[in-house]
Amino acid sequence: MAKLLDKQRYKCALASMQTVQAITRAIPVLHSGPGCAQKLSDGVGSSGYFSPNIFPCTSINEKDVVFGGTKKLASTIENALKVIDADLFVVLTGCIPEIVGDDTAEVVSQFADARKPVIYASTAGFKGNNYKGHEQVVDAIIDQYLKKADEGEKIEGLVNIWADVPYQNLFWLGNLRELEKLLAELGLKPNTIFGYKRGIENIDLIPKAQFNLLVSPWVGLKNVKKMEKKLGIPYLHYPTLPIGASETSTFLREVGRFAGVSSEKIESVINEHESYFYYLIERYADLFLENRVINKQFSVVGDAQYVLAATKFLVNDLGLFPAKQFITDDTPKEFQSAIVEEFKKLNYGIEAEVEFTTDSYNIHNQIREHDYHGYPLVLGSYYDKEVTEELKGNFLNISWPFQDKVVLDDFYCGYTGGIRLIEDIYSVAVQRFN
Amino acid sequence: MTYKIAVASSNGTDVDTNFGSARFFSVYTVSDEGNFVHSETRAAPDENQDKENFSVHTEKKCTGNGCTNSGNCCRGAEISEKVRLISDCRCVVASKIGFTVQKQLERKAIAAFDVQCKVQEALQKITKYFYSVDNHLSLAKK
Amino acid sequence: MTINTNSSNVATRENRIGSITGYIGNLKDLAEKSACGTLKGCSRCFSQSSTCLSSCALAQLSAIRDVAIIHHGPAGCSVASAGAYYLDKVMAKKRGVTNDTVYVGTDMNEQDTIFGSTEQLGKIIREVNRRYSPKAIFVTSSCATGIIGEDIDSVVDDLKEEINVPIVAVHCEGFKSRIWATGFDIADHAVLSSIVQPPKQKRNTINFKNFYESARPEIIEIFRNFDLEPIFLYCNSTVEELSHISESLATTCICGTLGNYLGNGLEEKYGVPYVRSINQCGITGFETWLREIGKVTNRSEAVEKYIAEQRAIYIPQIEEIKKELKGLRAVIGMGPGYTFEVSRVLNELGIEVVWALAWHYDKKYENGDIPPSMKYLLDNDINFETSISDQQNYEVMNVLRKFKPDIYLSRHPGSTVWAIKNGTSAVYVADEYMIFGYKHTLEFAKTILDSIRNRSFEKNLASRVKLPYTDWWYEQNVDAFFEAEKENKKVTI
Repeated sequence: MAKLLDKQRYKCALASMQTVQAITRAIPVLHSGPGCAQKLSDGVGSSGYFSPNIFPCTSINEKDVVFGGTKKLASTIENALKVIDADLFVVLTGCIPEIVGDDTAEVVSQFADARKPVIYASTAGFKGNNYKGHEQVVDAIIDQYLKKADEGEKIEGLVNIWADVPYQNLFWLGNLRELEKLLAELGLKPNTIFGYKRGIENIDLIPKAQFNLLVSPWVGLKNVKKMEKKLGIPYLHYPTLPIGASETSTFLREVGRFAGVSSEKIESVINEHESYFYYLIERYADLFLENRVINKQFSVVGDAQYVLAATKFLVNDLGLFPAKQFITDDTPKEFQSAIVEEFKKLNYGIEAEVEFTTDSYNIHNQIREHDYHGYPLVLGSYYDKEVTEELKGNFLNISWPFQDKVVLDDFYCGYTGGIRLIEDIYSVAVQRFN
Repeated sequence: MTYKIAVASSNGTDVDTNFGSARFFSVYTVSDEGNFVHSETRAAPDENQDKENFSVHTEKKCTGNGCTNSGNCCRGAEISEKVRLISDCRCVVASKIGFTVQKQLERKAIAAFDVQCKVQEALQKITKYFYSVDNHLSLAKK
Repeated sequence: MTINTNSSNVATRENRIGSITGYIGNLKDLAEKSACGTLKGCSRCFSQSSTCLSSCALAQLSAIRDVAIIHHGPAGCSVASAGAYYLDKVMAKKRGVTNDTVYVGTDMNEQDTIFGSTEQLGKIIREVNRRYSPKAIFVTSSCATGIIGEDIDSVVDDLKEEINVPIVAVHCEGFKSRIWATGFDIADHAVLSSIVQPPKQKRNTINFKNFYESARPEIIEIFRNFDLEPIFLYCNSTVEELSHISESLATTCICGTLGNYLGNGLEEKYGVPYVRSINQCGITGFETWLREIGKVTNRSEAVEKYIAEQRAIYIPQIEEIKKELKGLRAVIGMGPGYTFEVSRVLNELGIEVVWALAWHYDKKYENGDIPPSMKYLLDNDINFETSISDQQNYEVMNVLRKFKPDIYLSRHPGSTVWAIKNGTSAVYVADEYMIFGYKHTLEFAKTILDSIRNRSFEKNLASRVKLPYTDWWYEQNVDAFFEAEKENKKVTI
């Protein structure tokens, strides 16, 4: 049912064109109006080998509505194959063709023998938001492109990693690389399909993996389940994106154990990292303990991925105390209780209260009414800056929409990421004395 | 409200003529209920005569201070005579409609349908579409 | 190359229409000349993404202070609300005011497309009104709501009694053929029809329609010389202020496409003269525009005095710079409101325009007039090749490869980067005041000079990146394409 989307935190399913864009040399072909691509792309960081101006688009007009747009779609795909140098073409359908009933599947099937693979996903705006759209695109790759690998083709130690939603999560590129690095240190062979030099060759590797690693509370769960069924790949679902020493060490132990890495190896990797991490923490103890501006209570406003990750870091590593947390990604009901449970697994039996809501008015009122007994620390989207400043709090922009930060490949994941996050939070704090 | 549809067809059966070369338009009137009937045939202005008219008008170029008539005067010079011929129609159907003509039609809120199919099919689809739009019905596939 | 507007070049109406179609059907045309026949006879068979109508319309309306925009559609349509929120805040801060405008979406889902959601929409409007007490409410439709036949007008009409502020339906169903030339017209219509009130008096003001008022203090100063107070629209405008724009002495705008509808509308409805002139870019532009304002508001003497003073300061400096710009070749890719204006300026600065890609339509047909900017070029024998496309990237790339200009100028996001990747210097003429008046024309000239002097960024990037088109595409006989077009007596303006 339509609802008041007051200061929205996500885009529509068609924004999954960004998921396609994140795959090197993959291009979305849009069966939609002419303006969707530009509208759904951010002003910063949307350029590249392909940019939204390059995306072939059927630019649906009145004629296509009255007479159907399948012919135009077919010719758009045909010409895209001729004109654009890409490895994978992903047709995404928008609102209009899905309502009027264009048979996209049929059109795409005409290209089964095209010189490059052409697949499609049904991503009409009204089908859901871009978190769901992202899953749709990955599903399309699984359903229409991937085939099960024989036992002999499997590569030992190969692990597919699924984590952030590209572009929607600002730190997706750096985070994915950091996760790869951590797994490589355990002696595993990480494989991801998004970002620099990760494209069709990596997609081709997916079926050969030993297992899938999903690092996310809910986005991607249906993808890894599907891959288990169709491709026979088991999966490990690790719901928290590890930020900082506590979580990353837990992460390495669990992933290492699942992968059959020896505990000596795991502990040695952990020790090395923790040693350096705590060296830094120790050196800056004066910053943490004597700073007058970072008080104990905090709220994180964003998608499940970042709210959970940041909450665990701020509580278990920095020793702060959770006020209420707000998850704004319209989490499907079936995942909510499991996520609520995660927020109860904090040190010292601390349980963080979390609310699933997309209404910013409601969120901001609650933040105003809560007694933070000190300056509130708010990690959220740009919309949350105003209310934080109203309360003289400290604000850091970590979720969409972003205005305060330009990130090319910075990351918050892992030990190093935790240090980055500390730097960012305290850079805000030192702007004032008290 | 009733409205008109102009169709460029050589034989009344197929949409086989492009806008630019149409010598005449078959005009259909559509009732409130969405039923259409052929009501007249309009001949396109004579080519030579039109050329003359056109050059006469270009000499009367605007002085650069713009039209105070909100585009009703000089507009005649630049808008194709053919577009004016069918300017009382809600839409025009032809096998091909050039880009500039499409823009002229847009300015007059005349829908342009460049299709190659049977005239009957085009009329059925268009009238169904406009009926839905006018009566706020969904265009969703049933 | 001289301009030919006599009938032999223009020939018959059909020929003229045909030739422009030939231009636009570029890929098709190309295919007809190439061995490949599969593209033959297909119009607009390959297009790339461009812009959404609602972006222009709602960017305008959301810049007004303390209003509410309710964009009824799936979450994607209202993504613009994030940018609008940011812009509103920073622009208000810059002016020293506050802006509590809200832009919300309705997150239409699949169920809504089947069962409709007008009742929900009504509730949402009431809730927005309750929460924020906006001074006006704009309820916008979208492609999805259009397709399912949602009757936004009825919802708005039903609420008119209940809601004490102006509430307007704004139609942004992109696929429908429409009267509005651009989203700007849609915004202007909404304001004219429901916010502007009949004049109660005449004031010393001039309505000034622009985008983001970066030159506001400067313009206020300039107009002070003429005892005129500019009212900037719509960024930071209040509903109260807008209700009085019928009382101004004149309306002018920074760009023809932006201001046409409002200017014409205010003139027709309330007798506020619309200053029609080439726009204020460059020297001739600035002077002509000022003189026209002087004429319309009876302040010609003050205007002449001001011009004489300014010329003494700036013309010598501009003449100096021109020496260094001589011989440069440029390609322009902008909307109709700017392409021909900027061409004139480049001509003034001694830069040759080798090609102009005007998005949208042939300038000759806009509003039926030959717009002043075009007429100026014709009268002054300034000629260059031009083509019309709907911001199609592959055409831009083709032109750049063929002409290898020294500089590419564009106003549309995402466009200049492709010139850079070709190794061509590019200047993103984003701010509408970048070439405003003598001062900014001089700055603009210097910026061009700096850009072409230091080509490090583009050379480095171009040597490392690969462009996204296939070899097949590049092998298309681009020269043949242009040659054949010339034979075909296409429109060279």
